[in-house]
Amino acid sequence: MKIEKLHSPKIISAQLLLLCIPAVVIAAYLLWHINQYFTVLNNQWLLQTIYFSLGLFTGCIFYNFRFRFLTTFLPLLLVLYLISGIINKTITAEFSAFYASAQFYIFSFLFIIGIIAGWGFARFRYFPMLLCVSMLLIQIIIVSKTTEITAQKLIIAFVPVLFFAFYIVYTAELIRNMNKDEPGFAWFIGKRLTGFTILSSIILFLLISFYSNDFKAIEKEFGGSAKQEKNDNSESLTKENRDGTVSNKKEMGLSGGHTSSKRLVFIAKLDNYFPNTESPNPLYFTYDYYTKFDTLTQTLETDSTMPSNDLFQPDPSKIPLYFTETDSSVLRKAKGLIARKVATTEVYKVLLSPKEFLAPSTAFFCQPISIDKEYQQQFKSAYRAKMYVSDLNSAYFVYNPAGNATLENFQQTRFEALRKISNWNSEDSNFINYYTFIPHGESFDSIRSLAQLITKNAATPIDKIIAIRDYFFSKDENGQPLFKYTDNPGIPGLPSANKLTFFLFENRRGYCAYFAGATLFLLRALGIPSRVSTGFLTVDRADKNKGWYWFYEDQAHAWVQVFFPGYGWLDFDTTIPNTEQQQSPAPDGTPPITVQSAFFVANGKVISIDTGSKRMQMLVTKMIYHDKTFELKQPVKINMDVSLATVNKDTGAVPLSTITAGMEVTSLSFSEQFKNIVPLESDSANDILAKIPKPIPIDEIRIADTEKEKQQMKPQAKAKEPFSILHILWIFLSIIGSILLTLFLLPWLIYRYFRYKATHTTVVRTKAYYGYTSAMYFLNQLGYARKNSSPLAFARDIVDTNFKTDFSAFVQVYLKSKYSNEQLKPWEEKIILLFYPTFEQAVKNKILFKDRISKFLNIYRTINYFNTPKI
Amino acid sequence: MEQQEIIVNNETALHNIQRLTDNIETVIKGKRNQIKFVLTALLAKGHILMEDNPGTGKTIMARTLAQSISGISNGSVNFKRIQFTPDLLPMDLLGSHIFDDVKKDFIFKRGPLFCNVLLADEINRASPKVQSALLECMAENQITMGETTYKLENLFFTIATQNPIEMEGTYPLPAAQLDRFFIKIKFGYVDEETELGIYKDYIEINNNLNNIQQVLDISEVLYLQQQSENVFLHEEIIKAVRNIIWATRKQQDILLGASTRSGITFIKCLKAYALVNGRTYVIEDDLLDLALPVLHHRLIFRNKEAEAKTLGAIVNIEMERLSKLKLN
Repeated sequence: MKIEKLHSPKIISAQLLLLCIPAVVIAAYLLWHINQYFTVLNNQWLLQTIYFSLGLFTGCIFYNFRFRFLTTFLPLLLVLYLISGIINKTITAEFSAFYASAQFYIFSFLFIIGIIAGWGFARFRYFPMLLCVSMLLIQIIIVSKTTEITAQKLIIAFVPVLFFAFYIVYTAELIRNMNKDEPGFAWFIGKRLTGFTILSSIILFLLISFYSNDFKAIEKEFGGSAKQEKNDNSESLTKENRDGTVSNKKEMGLSGGHTSSKRLVFIAKLDNYFPNTESPNPLYFTYDYYTKFDTLTQTLETDSTMPSNDLFQPDPSKIPLYFTETDSSVLRKAKGLIARKVATTEVYKVLLSPKEFLAPSTAFFCQPISIDKEYQQQFKSAYRAKMYVSDLNSAYFVYNPAGNATLENFQQTRFEALRKISNWNSEDSNFINYYTFIPHGESFDSIRSLAQLITKNAATPIDKIIAIRDYFFSKDENGQPLFKYTDNPGIPGLPSANKLTFFLFENRRGYCAYFAGATLFLLRALGIPSRVSTGFLTVDRADKNKGWYWFYEDQAHAWVQVFFPGYGWLDFDTTIPNTEQQQSPAPDGTPPITVQSAFFVANGKVISIDTGSKRMQMLVTKMIYHDKTFELKQPVKINMDVSLATVNKDTGAVPLSTITAGMEVTSLSFSEQFKNIVPLESDSANDILAKIPKPIPIDEIRIADTEKEKQQMKPQAKAKEPFSILHILWIFLSIIGSILLTLFLLPWLIYRYFRYKATHTTVVRTKAYYGYTSAMYFLNQLGYARKNSSPLAFARDIVDTNFKTDFSAFVQVYLKSKYSNEQLKPWEEKIILLFYPTFEQAVKNKILFKDRISKFLNIYRTINYFNTPKI
Repeated sequence: MEQQEIIVNNETALHNIQRLTDNIETVIKGKRNQIKFVLTALLAKGHILMEDNPGTGKTIMARTLAQSISGISNGSVNFKRIQFTPDLLPMDLLGSHIFDDVKKDFIFKRGPLFCNVLLADEINRASPKVQSALLECMAENQITMGETTYKLENLFFTIATQNPIEMEGTYPLPAAQLDRFFIKIKFGYVDEETELGIYKDYIEINNNLNNIQQVLDISEVLYLQQQSENVFLHEEIIKAVRNIIWATRKQQDILLGASTRSGITFIKCLKAYALVNGRTYVIEDDLLDLALPVLHHRLIFRNKEAEAKTLGAIVNIEMERLSKLKLN
């Protein structure tokens, strides 16, 4: 009888590898999660994981040697207790004592948990189940601490733990039930686990990809918000970019909640005043137009094919400083001719992404400008924009202008002017049809009847608009406001129910997107061409700096624009003020009023830079001198003195050493020297360059974000991107896929190796060996394994009879070369030299190509080939 | 020069074996492997035990072998056959002292053991006493009667047959005796095709049996026995033999493993078998072919299943090792 060993290294290593390591991984994940909620942990989840794994591995190995649990565990507790006592006594400084003992308690706690877990894996059959239950409990506690539950968060919180639960129970049972003496222990476990992993990841993957829409619906039910942003303002109209800047979002969903914080996004100076007054007329800053409504996702969408697309959306970060981008076609497309004028705005970005362009409609000109040194810390970048604005446009529509005579006058003149318009017959029917389109359906019919009800007393379109506004402001029979502004309106009971009708008829609370969306359909129902515009709401709070406006995150807004023939698109905002929310803080700081104008601007590539002597050589392709732009057909080398220059990127100021040869930069000079050297009308670029002193003193250098740099940035940005489950699953599946591919290809690769050796070796004995090995492997893979017959008998009885080859003759010679002390005779050597190609061809002739492929895919045969048989 | 001579000698030896095999095959049809084993035992200076049901050609095999070898005095070598029965006495084998009336003395009357080829038919029917009497002759090639030791012939080859152990009235051979038999084979039936041929040509076969040609001289057989010792045995093969022997001792399903003598016997047989197969070196195939005939009857297994499988599995491991082995 064999005496049963107390412990088996195989079992222990299987437990360590397959149970403990996954447990450590999931523990790290949980600890990382927990660290986000408990400050006492100091966010050292990595260290804590090490504590835990220390305990776990110790426990697992130790208790596999059949030590009693209580008799060893209690002394350990005692030792830890004593050590903690010593720590408390020896460290006198109060704070460090607290810190040290807190650290030690964390260590002891995790270590003990680890030890218990190790003991459980080693000895206690039902431990994995207990572990799963407790992990799920921990995760539930963590999730309950989460203020905002989204499907994403729920999936991220529970999927790993659930997956681990299945895994650990399955694997622990597998290891327990395995006969450790059975040959191929590792192979068997590996096989089972691979199967398990593939199966479960496929199931998970399918589940998540098929039901992702349902998940999203459920998460709306939870009252959370829908979007992917990690940031809390997930349903705001802005989105946070990877680099921390803010942009407007490209879609506008109607969902349960809308939150926004109050960070400063940008400030702007707008040169727009009420006609014939000094009183500034604020205008909404438009980012994009939403003209379509997707009934399926209940989302308003942009449409680049909208008729008379007057959207001007340049990327200011792509335009070199002081150079301009103009699109005059939008002026024609804006269709407004009456009471139009050109206004200018200067936008100084704080959080706003350097790529974004925002301006009152209808912008047609963009020119990045430099920021005075004093303000460079505060503002990242700036641009100047020119717009073709209507005299009739204004931010004042909702906000009661009562008391301000100028505003009241303006409102009256505006309404009077617009009342003259009663139809759109003069307009292109295509255009009108597009902007008055409403989807079909019961809910939209109810919107139509509501629109008619509201506007039954209004004769002209503008009166109808006012009526709609008044409807939103109206009070119910109890004297309470009919509509309320709220960031969290909730959603209808059915996930796919029409949210607009829910808003209009039942809930009557919502944020700007609801008001704008509802207004859009009310207007369109009345045949008034309209669209939703997004951007920023402009609030005039400044008394000191007239024309300067501050824009905070909660000013991200949506409103409607209505088309009036002759006047073009005008802004109308029907969103009622948020009575509960206090206004954004009053404008702080001073605006960067001192705007310098650069006398000399050069754009081109850096040829060389010497940071010691502060000299730079540039190959200039474009330049501006005294507001005159020159395109240099023949790039000119220019020497520059950069000793005073500040260097900027879109992301902020950088040291001079950032500049390297080959970079695309724009150099500016505000130097007074140039003030008096006025260019003549006929001067060419070279004439000017000849006139001005050299080296040219440069005050500011702006580095353009080149494509190459962006590509380098990409991988980093990707790494920072929060992992989505699908992402992980894809990676997982592709890893599994590549492993499987290698497994499938392995037999063929091995064969090719042997075959190569067999055909390329020149030494006869080695050639004989590889010829034999290759042939045997080939035959084995094709299903002709030697099994229990001897080499010669196999060659003679099986191979030669089946394939009509001369394998036995070869084997005879091979065995002679292997075991004999005699030299091979020339004819025997000839057999070896000529053997392989003919043999392979003979076998191939007998077995079809497709059969060979299917047989070569069989990894089992390869394993059997290399496996030493067991008794 | 010397090298040349050995090769020439080897070639004659190989040729002789071929002749002997072919000659026996004229009578024993479809039993090439069994003939090879018999010749292996002969060349290894051992003895063979054949186990099978009656009527499979064991006796004819022995007779043909004996008649194929010519003795000193022109006739074929001395061939004796003893039918073992339960009442057979050792005397009947060894011979006895009888009183000579003329010489007035006891003279030794030689028994049937004083021959070149002995067919011990149904050896397991005889009592252990008789069986053990065979021991000395088979091992030492001599007989000791009282004080005198009688040398047996130089060429003394025993072909013993036994009925399967399960048959009634049989005494299983003691382990010591089994050890003396280098090879134990099952004679077995021929395949259907050959059997048909035998029925068709039985007259001719009978004729052949009565007119067996003497293809080899007894001295040539002795020379072959000597040559078999010169067969080249690669170190890896020796190692393989050692591994197999050791494995039989370590294996739990084998109660009694192979002895060192078994190993030596195995090696002798390997060399002889190589020669029988026309080679002057031993290859893996020989190992697999011989392992069971040589070792199986020396081992005591735990149960029937182990008896059927264990040794084969042990040899297989070794075969696998050798077949992957790359020798330089």
